[in-house]
Amino acid sequence: MAYDKPIPRKGQHTKPFWDGAKEGKLVIPRCKECNRVHWYPRLICPYCHSMDLEWIEASGEGWLYTFAVQHRAFGPWAAEVPYVTAFIDLKEGDRMMTVLRGVDANKPEDIKIGSLVKVEFEKADEDTYIPFWRVVGDV
Amino acid sequence: MARADLSYAAAIVGACESNEIGYPEERGPKVTSLQHHIEAIKNVSDYTGIPISDIEGVFSAGWSSELCEHLGLRPKYIDTTAVGGCSFQIHCHHALAAIYAGIIDIAVVSHGEAGWSYRGQTGRGGGGGEVSPGYEATAAYGTFGAPSQYSHAMVRHNHKYGTSPEDFAHISVVTREWATLNPRALMFSKDTNPFGGPITVEDVMNARVISWPLTLFHCCLVTDHGGAVILTNPDIARSLKSNPVWIRGAGESMGHSNMVEMADFTATSAQHSARTAYAMAGLSAADIEMAMIYDSFTITAGMTAEMLGLAPRGKGYTLWKEGHAAPGGRLPINTNGGGLSFNHSGMYGMQLLVEAYRQMSRTAEDGVNGIEGKQVDASNCIVNGTGGTLSTTGTLILEADDA
Repeated sequence: MAYDKPIPRKGQHTKPFWDGAKEGKLVIPRCKECNRVHWYPRLICPYCHSMDLEWIEASGEGWLYTFAVQHRAFGPWAAEVPYVTAFIDLKEGDRMMTVLRGVDANKPEDIKIGSLVKVEFEKADEDTYIPFWRVVGDV
Repeated sequence: MARADLSYAAAIVGACESNEIGYPEERGPKVTSLQHHIEAIKNVSDYTGIPISDIEGVFSAGWSSELCEHLGLRPKYIDTTAVGGCSFQIHCHHALAAIYAGIIDIAVVSHGEAGWSYRGQTGRGGGGGEVSPGYEATAAYGTFGAPSQYSHAMVRHNHKYGTSPEDFAHISVVTREWATLNPRALMFSKDTNPFGGPITVEDVMNARVISWPLTLFHCCLVTDHGGAVILTNPDIARSLKSNPVWIRGAGESMGHSNMVEMADFTATSAQHSARTAYAMAGLSAADIEMAMIYDSFTITAGMTAEMLGLAPRGKGYTLWKEGHAAPGGRLPINTNGGGLSFNHSGMYGMQLLVEAYRQMSRTAEDGVNGIEGKQVDASNCIVNGTGGTLSTTGTLILEADDA
């Protein structure tokens, strides 16, 4: 089935991320000065303010920081309610948002903060593969 | 550096609302945001006796040039800071500084927002792009407005501190109790709204789920509102027919813009804006006698009470659960009925200011906005606005003239 959800418009400095996603890789920015990764992609390191940045392939693993269950949505997402949205702490550092997979939205009490999660990519259009995170292990 | 010399450098000398707040279209034609602004400014001008033409500084969340043009003003100071619902606390901070510096003597802070009348006319979802890489990184993930974001903070707070949605439901219940003392509150009674009148924790928990664990009654209203306050230097403040309320402390800060950048989902920048305000005031949290705390959601209020030092971390909700925040309690909070039960137009910071002025100017029982029992026995009030997605905060410490 064709992807029918909103597709983010791509910025001018985030191409390495989207190119990586197309190959199934999570590519994120890292500062060559202070060695810290950050998300979302900046024009400048938000920690040390160096502009000497590079892109690295991340492990694609992390932990569930927090979540919520959406019962009210609009457009194509409305057909999916209830679904779980979440924030993921990357193993390399910093945080990403996602719609969480591998969980039962009707049993939020069974979803455990700290669970191990892995990234996967869904094709939205020819150039856009959107990262989603899936719970793969216990706390 | 704490600027103690700014303490008492300006006073709020009046605070008024527009004529039709809540759901105006149920009573007549739709009201525009501009009309809310203009009515509120006219009302506060009449209330203080300060002619609109004497206003030198205009502060609003994005509207200042339009307001000046509409009013035919030639201002000396223009500030149109728009950082969400706390913008109006921040405007007062800026106006305080401008008055202290001698650039202006009279400032208006104005708000007009047809949050209900023109609901659904803004875009939803999708988008993103080079101007907002933070949005680009989150637009795909099916969140729609504030409730779908703030729920994540509630879950994290529950996890970190062992709290529960029921704990936070007490905030709704107590805030509703205050609304039953305010005839202008949308939820004043069954007559003002089918869902109005007193509610229980069970009512809150059994209400429709919006974004779990937030039910409808954990969420603020969506209404129309306009409001305006005038600030002046101390000499003018003492010469007017209205009562001055002193700005004893002020501060502002921000943690992030996009929620994905929020470092700790159980902490906001109110801890920093409050620290600045306390330092300016020479006060600590223990000295605070009442509070007006932005309650876009129960989690916002509970967490902010912790940030302001009014309760230990993880224990903010106990102020409501144990009745301290309720009518007759030792620390009244959100005495207008809050964004939860009085009025919330989208940016609620002006409603906080209007009520704080009424309490501190000893006029809470006067006129259309209060009935007996509403005026609280407090000589100071901490006011904290929260804007964006728990992003930006402005804190004021106001003091009654008879303190």
